[in-house]
Amino acid sequence: MQEGKPLSSKQINRELLLTILNSPKWFFTTISLLGMIVLFAMGAAGIMINQGFGVTGLNRPVMWGFFITNFVFWIGISHAGVMLSAILRLSKAEWRRPATRAAEILTVFSLMTAMTMPLIHTGRPWRTVYWIYTLPFVPYDYARGIWPNIRTPLVWDPSAVYTYLTSSILFVLVALIPDFAVLRDRTTGISHRIYGMLAMGWQGNPRQWKLQVIAGVLLSALILPVFVSVHSIVSWDFGMAVSVKSWHSTIFAPYFVVGAVHSGVSAVAFVLILLRYVYGWQNYIRHEHIDALARLLVVVATGWFYFLVMEIVFGFYGREADEIAVRNFQFMVTPWNIWMMIFVGVTYFLPVGIWLSRSARRNLWIMSLACISVNIGMWLERFLIIVPGLARKQLLTFDWYTYRPSPIEWIIVGGTFAMVTMLMLIVARVAPLIPLYDIKEGEILRTEIKIGRVTVPAVYRED
Amino acid sequence: MAATEAKGHGQHAGMWIYPDAATLSQDISEKSKATSSAFKTALVVTGILFVLAVIGFIARAADDGFDEIGPWGYYNAVFSMIFMVTSGAPLAACAFRFTKSHWRRPLSRVAELFSIVGILNLIMFIPMMIFLPSLDNPAGVVEGQMELRRTIWFEGPIGAPLAWDLLGVAFLVITAIAILWTSAMADMAEARNTATGFKGWLYRRLSGGWYGTKRQWNVQKAGLALLGAFYFMTVVFMHFVFSSDYAQSLIPGWKDSIFPVIYTVTSFQVSLGAILVALFILRRWGGYEGYIGKSTFWSASKVLLGITLLWIYHMFAFFITFWYGRLEIEQNIIQYLISDTYSIVFILNALFSFVLPFAVLVWNPVRRTDWGPALAGLLVVIGGLLFNIRIFVASANAAPGEKLYAFFMEHVPAPVYPDIWDVFMVVGGLGAAVFIYLLSTRILPVLSLWEVKEGTLYQKWGKLFRGEYQILGKPE
Amino acid sequence: MAKLPILGLFESADHAADAGDALKAAGVPMTDYDFLTDAPYPEGAFGEREENHRLYIFPFVGALVGLTVGIMLTAMTQMAYPLAQGGKPILSMPPMAVVTYESTMLTAIVFTIIGILFESRLPAFKQGLYDTRITEGYIGVLVNVDEDQLTPTQTLLTQAGAIDVVRKDGGSGA
Repeated sequence: MQEGKPLSSKQINRELLLTILNSPKWFFTTISLLGMIVLFAMGAAGIMINQGFGVTGLNRPVMWGFFITNFVFWIGISHAGVMLSAILRLSKAEWRRPATRAAEILTVFSLMTAMTMPLIHTGRPWRTVYWIYTLPFVPYDYARGIWPNIRTPLVWDPSAVYTYLTSSILFVLVALIPDFAVLRDRTTGISHRIYGMLAMGWQGNPRQWKLQVIAGVLLSALILPVFVSVHSIVSWDFGMAVSVKSWHSTIFAPYFVVGAVHSGVSAVAFVLILLRYVYGWQNYIRHEHIDALARLLVVVATGWFYFLVMEIVFGFYGREADEIAVRNFQFMVTPWNIWMMIFVGVTYFLPVGIWLSRSARRNLWIMSLACISVNIGMWLERFLIIVPGLARKQLLTFDWYTYRPSPIEWIIVGGTFAMVTMLMLIVARVAPLIPLYDIKEGEILRTEIKIGRVTVPAVYRED
Repeated sequence: MAATEAKGHGQHAGMWIYPDAATLSQDISEKSKATSSAFKTALVVTGILFVLAVIGFIARAADDGFDEIGPWGYYNAVFSMIFMVTSGAPLAACAFRFTKSHWRRPLSRVAELFSIVGILNLIMFIPMMIFLPSLDNPAGVVEGQMELRRTIWFEGPIGAPLAWDLLGVAFLVITAIAILWTSAMADMAEARNTATGFKGWLYRRLSGGWYGTKRQWNVQKAGLALLGAFYFMTVVFMHFVFSSDYAQSLIPGWKDSIFPVIYTVTSFQVSLGAILVALFILRRWGGYEGYIGKSTFWSASKVLLGITLLWIYHMFAFFITFWYGRLEIEQNIIQYLISDTYSIVFILNALFSFVLPFAVLVWNPVRRTDWGPALAGLLVVIGGLLFNIRIFVASANAAPGEKLYAFFMEHVPAPVYPDIWDVFMVVGGLGAAVFIYLLSTRILPVLSLWEVKEGTLYQKWGKLFRGEYQILGKPE
Repeated sequence: MAKLPILGLFESADHAADAGDALKAAGVPMTDYDFLTDAPYPEGAFGEREENHRLYIFPFVGALVGLTVGIMLTAMTQMAYPLAQGGKPILSMPPMAVVTYESTMLTAIVFTIIGILFESRLPAFKQGLYDTRITEGYIGVLVNVDEDQLTPTQTLLTQAGAIDVVRKDGGSGA
């Protein structure tokens, strides 16, 4: 897995710091455009808060719609980063090197974006101050002895997400220290002082490097169980509810986690393709990396498909009227059945069909299509879990209704995509999205083995 | 000794070994022929256990017949235990080959040989088809009962469940043996002219026209990948089918979509555990310390640690959903399988499948030894046995007779303790599996010679400035 | 006599390792010189001293602290607000496990981060002798020697192949 040509440190610095030391022409225009979309979405949220939930399509019995779908979607995307980075670091996969940082930063911003969704969804976001958002575990009214109820998944959820967010931010920052030192050495004035502070006096002696390498592995090992817990707990927001029969399924936790990995890794692959195209990083993000991600995705997608099948089979297994009603709604009622077919097609059969071909895996246009397809599908998956379940919630059929999102919801959801893109671009302006030292380490360890007439790429390994 | 001494520096000291490809085949061939007294003793002991298992089976059949599944709970448990190992182990060889992990090389054949033990599963499964209760309620349409019990076969397609179950188990065994055959063909071809007697005959028949041409190697590589992918899908499907038919669907109202996944995870865990134990025995007492390096244990132990964490994670996902739901049936299931009837077995199961192996594997210095991962492997094997006893004995005895067709298990049944025949069947069954495995090591070398030789091409020991490190060709 | 730093810059790692050998041969203690690089070289690549650390203690201590806080927090909030829900006991263990798990992991990770910084001796408010060319791929050999040894050390570094030698007193040149 080493197809690229050897690179010198100077070249690596020059090419990977290009985005920071010289702003591309399109940068401010793009940021302004994305900023305007975000502002527009914030305006829509403002209207909703001012007017009330009546401006959305949410109504009894479907009180969770686009916002919660989007929340789960972004939490899912956030799983790519650390999962990919952690698994690949732990397995010492050589092709991880250019992919880890962008993946980790995508984690941070998608988590932040995800958390705006339940906040907006409350309708009165400021009241969450009384809950546990700003001051963790401080009771909202302890004069009356009322404490947060840790028995509800709605409290487990923020505790997990904030653990993950804090850990991911710290993980990214620690790994950035050596790269901040490179920037410190290449900037002047105020930038130099800021990068100097962020680099904390990094020198690059063997002790610091040893700790940095161990930190990567140790933090990966520690964050991995957190990442698994986060989406599991998000799934339990649904799975603990007995009243919505299709949600109360024991498989929800791993099913959600694998789905999150599926959508997240696809998103990372797409982001890497974009970075390669936008910043001209052909020497770093190579076809072999995208190919490896696609092969990983075949396994992840197939695992996900297995969980999907289990979820559906055991949905019917119980032969309980209220659950059959939901399944009937999902599979037999138009347009839900059409959405269901599209969802399975674009999440599994289309992308996996593409990924089975080596030439398709190495065609970046086709790969982009496959990765976007997965994410459209995974967004639909969450929607098709949430809405049909609620629409056919109980045996009291007088309450059965459906859901149609309003323009306000569309705008807010669209705004979240603009927000993540904008934040990623802003970070790309101040910190390298490909870890410089990881690439340089790869160059140091790169070697070859000669077998007969063939020269095989090889690496030096300490363990 | 055909191998160089173990290399590595600092904390990595002694991790790596570099066998000498030139003398490897002859050395391993001699080792395969040599039959130590310890091996003979093991063969005799496990052979006696095999006989005990047969006695236990005959006595159980004579006492209780095949009409009810209840008395056969322990038989189901030991079948499942062996099934978990024999179905999961070949997958370890395929999976690590797929990930191109160099450390897997000494592990591949040890794992693949378990597929021969799969034949035992196939034979053991025959009586299980007889005592599995029918899907249809024999009483027909009765008020308060289901006409057709809850199964994954729903309306019962033709032949379900027995014909499909048997087909599945047979298919699995055949595919596993096909993987072994494809993998071992090159090794058999190498020895076909020197091996004598039955072995020589077998090698000549099974190695066909293998001459190691480039084309043959390419076909072998592609064949193993395809068979592995095929096998993986079949294994997961058969775990789902078996765990549903012989466990979940026998407890009325137990609707648990994660259970097949827990079954599969436990299978992967115990099979890797069994492989590690086998590797340790070979390294310590089989004379293979020059071929099975600590790096193999170290890398496999990290996978085992991951699976062990996955085991407790899936168990908790099941538990918290039922605990939170608090439906009557959910509380009954928890009481039956976890907190009341089989609580002792559950506690031991959790100890051996999670707490103890986790406590062993969490320490990196322990993972770097050969005994640490092997100890964890032994613990998870014991844990797996307890898991199977808890689940299959409980399932077989949850709803005797017509109660099986009730909508829900309304009362929590009492535990069923093993009698002497059950002990014979469980201990003897495990002994029989080991006996067959030991015999299989007489037929094929326990080391995949071509894979280890291939490894010598890609793994070198070399210098970088002032340090010496492993050089790994075609890294992952 | 106070020790002063001197920094030799090398274009190749081989030469930097040669400098290390020469320093060792000259009797400079291994604790008095360091190799500064822009990427992690494998341990022992320069024949440098082995670095010991106690990083692994930090996550364990953190986990213990987090576990304790988690158990106390979840148990005490339930006891402080005894509202029965869905037939669950007031002091419910399974949900406690969830929040306690998160607090355990969070504290373990925060402690690990603290441990990494502490063991890396960061933040270093005084950076010491340094050259920005190190982050361009040059390898710095930083030596702390007695003042009277500065010039012999400079010669030694130059002979080993240093393209430049930087001194605290402003002296520079190969």
